[in-house]
Amino acid sequence: MKRLFCVLATCAVLFVAMSASAQEWKPPTSMKKLPNGLTVVVSEDHSAPTFGICISYGIGFRLEPEGRTGFAHLFEHMMFEGTPNSPKGIFDRVIESGGGATNGDTRYDYTEYIETAPVSALDPILWLEADRLKTLDFSTKNLENQRNVVEEEVRVNVMNQPYGLFFAIDLPGKAFDTYPNAHNFYGDFKDLDAAKIEDVQKFYEQYYAPNNAVLAIVGDVKPSEVYEKVEKYFAGIPSRPTPPRPAVEEKPQTAERREKETDKLARVPALAIGYRMPPPRTATALAGAVAGELLQNGQASRLYQALVKEKQVALSVDGGVNWPLGNPFEYNGPTLMTSFIVYPPNVTEDQVLAAYDATVNELATKGPSQQDLERVVTKMRSDLYAQLEIPITRASALSHAVLFTGSFDEVFSIPDELTKVTPEQVREFTAKYLVSTNRTIINRVPAPASPDAGKSGGAQ
Amino acid sequence: MRLLKLVAIFALFASCAFAQKQAPLPKELPPYGPEKTLEAPAVKIAKLDNGLTVWLVSKPGFPKLSYAVAVRGGFAADPNDRPGISELLSNTIDQGTKSRKARKIAEEFQGAGGDLSAAAYRDNIEVSTTVLADKAEAAIAVLADVLQNATFPDNEVALAKKNLADSLQQQEADPSFLASRAVAKVLFGTDPYHVISPTQESVAASTSADLRKIYAQRFRPDEAVFIAVGDFQNEKMMGFVKANFGSWKAPTESPIAETARFNPAPTHAVFLVERAGSVQTTIEFAAAGPLRSDPDYESAVVANAIYGGTFGSRLTLNIREDKGYTYSPFTTLNSFRAAGDFISHADVRNAVTGATYNEMTYEMNRMVTTSPTADELNQAKRFLVGIQAIRSQSRASVAGQLADLWVKNLPPEEIGIYGKKIAATTPDDVDAAAKKYFPASHAAIIAVGEGKVVREALAPFGIQIQPAP
Repeated sequence: MKRLFCVLATCAVLFVAMSASAQEWKPPTSMKKLPNGLTVVVSEDHSAPTFGICISYGIGFRLEPEGRTGFAHLFEHMMFEGTPNSPKGIFDRVIESGGGATNGDTRYDYTEYIETAPVSALDPILWLEADRLKTLDFSTKNLENQRNVVEEEVRVNVMNQPYGLFFAIDLPGKAFDTYPNAHNFYGDFKDLDAAKIEDVQKFYEQYYAPNNAVLAIVGDVKPSEVYEKVEKYFAGIPSRPTPPRPAVEEKPQTAERREKETDKLARVPALAIGYRMPPPRTATALAGAVAGELLQNGQASRLYQALVKEKQVALSVDGGVNWPLGNPFEYNGPTLMTSFIVYPPNVTEDQVLAAYDATVNELATKGPSQQDLERVVTKMRSDLYAQLEIPITRASALSHAVLFTGSFDEVFSIPDELTKVTPEQVREFTAKYLVSTNRTIINRVPAPASPDAGKSGGAQ
Repeated sequence: MRLLKLVAIFALFASCAFAQKQAPLPKELPPYGPEKTLEAPAVKIAKLDNGLTVWLVSKPGFPKLSYAVAVRGGFAADPNDRPGISELLSNTIDQGTKSRKARKIAEEFQGAGGDLSAAAYRDNIEVSTTVLADKAEAAIAVLADVLQNATFPDNEVALAKKNLADSLQQQEADPSFLASRAVAKVLFGTDPYHVISPTQESVAASTSADLRKIYAQRFRPDEAVFIAVGDFQNEKMMGFVKANFGSWKAPTESPIAETARFNPAPTHAVFLVERAGSVQTTIEFAAAGPLRSDPDYESAVVANAIYGGTFGSRLTLNIREDKGYTYSPFTTLNSFRAAGDFISHADVRNAVTGATYNEMTYEMNRMVTTSPTADELNQAKRFLVGIQAIRSQSRASVAGQLADLWVKNLPPEEIGIYGKKIAATTPDDVDAAAKKYFPASHAAIIAVGEGKVVREALAPFGIQIQPAP
């Protein structure tokens, strides 16, 4: 993320949910591919004189080279540092004085660049996005500057924070066995420090090609005008070969994995639990999304009710499938259903787990009632609408869907599909996937602070 | 709300500006297109016989709606021996009513596609939810029940107290929380506005009876606003409101007293919060700010934008884009009903603590000595007006903005007037606001970090360093 609010705030923003038959709502949306391979999606929303744009590239943490941990994210920062045509500072200045805001996010399977602004800024923003897809200002000074900024980002979000995002960084590190899925996505400082400007340039040339990008625009626009403008600014950018996608699959997990960590900043212990999930865009994955919501989203969820309210062995339960860096529908490789549980110091790890397992086992045995299922699906549908309400988040969803599947249909069809999930499918999913041999647990407990506490912090 | 977060993020970076030495714009860069005016939301205003203020914004075309109810009285109204009890109240208001248990309340909101959010602020408590439009009637019924018939069951309050006590302990590790709490104490001393959270003692002392008493005092129709924004027809919604809130009775006792205006005038010194193991120092410059209703509010907003509000602002260009000291500096004007503050925040690695203090002091003072350039002013104003349009995209955001206006005793039309006032701000206005609010000598500096690091880094500046209150 270019800016702090990132990791947690944005993943929450990108939470998808779904719709159903009661109230179909599907705004006019269309798609076109330019000869250079750039895919363009346009969706209309005339409720305010504004628009949102998201351009996603098919490069994320999963594909960054070994020995270059954190590179995809560091590179994202470099995309804001200017080009030969548009020196450092121009980009932010033009967008902000156009009344808009800009940001970037790096995730496992994509890197996205987003802007939102009044429609009067559409032309200059398209020009700026096209300009930084032609070339960048590959200067050592910019790299040095952004390396410092990224290292501050890691300090503020990880090293200086209680829990240090261990449920998002350390947990996949223990749950997965291969580099693409297991490495620290923020990057080891030694790798960040070793990055050279030639590496930045090579990375750009490999992955930042129009044929590896999907541009989505949502707002108070006419599709024909948008296509015309995008062609005007982007058509001249040549397509380039991109590296073949490496294998990212994992061998199946066969035994439970348990770890213990100490935390010199936290005052209260916490658990992270991660179960490996089925491949995306399958009936099982859909049932998994519902199970995740049923178990751990909000005060009505079963884990909240059991752990926080009834047995009183936890202070909070957060989590879900592909949480916290995405939603249950936007992943393109191995991912986890994660639970992050903060628990009182006078309760033991075993007590928390016993209550947790009892709740999961009940779902695995009895499944949800039809009534429970309908309520949860209604909530998921409502949350999906929430994502479609705002132009910039709708643009993100459309752009990711096209990047992963070649079509935006799932953005509007998942809602209906969810209403078809049966209690038995949820039960079956739970019985098969939410089992101890398929999970990894990290127990993170407070340790007394000491002067060299910076070394602990977690995600190193 | 997840979405609000995004809107809030963009709002934080509220403004823009450029320092000197601007590079010329690229020749090929196309100009901005013609501006389209943002229509201010049409707010239907009504008052029920029991005194409940009703503001409705009908916005068809998208199948969701947001409800927000604000009541007067928040942290600043908490009893002296129960500071922060408003938070315990907002944590327990949905934990049972005369006819519903906590779990049923949560499930009914879930079944409407929403969550209930209840939050305590300095001047008010706000209860809100965003649901599917076809569940509007079911949702308003539970909402009304929570607002009129909460029972604060002993067992739920006992659990909430325990969890709040543990959460407070957890917050003691959070540098941003430690900074905010110290800022409030330094700026407001013993004034009611110094309270931003409960204490272990106040949580331990609080009882269900306390909560019921405060609930009865504050949750009354004549001191509350009901707001709905989204896919409904006004007439039908008024019917729902009357059916669900019409029999709500105001108590005979008088409402909570008005908070007296307070102008912070903190000592210009460093207030240190020692946090062992910190790899960064969290620095906040904190000073007085305007009220939302003050005539120079918008000028101060523009000045703040130029100073530190955006990626293109003076402070961000300096300590992030030039020097790489920090990831996400931010500056903010918080206005309450009877006070305002200005806060400039940065988390920086230990080694640049002194250098950052120096640059923040410099940039605040530069606001006083150096008028904005025409470009800086123009960019800041355009940014703020544009962001206002972006904030109008979300129904929940519009409901929240309206609730905020009501809490500050302002009419709903202000939501549309704000942009016009921003656009009319002159260089002289910005200079006057900068002279009033930005001199670094008017600010207290709160530093959260390793004590030794902070003391050694700031000693050369000769500024007094003392433990935070």
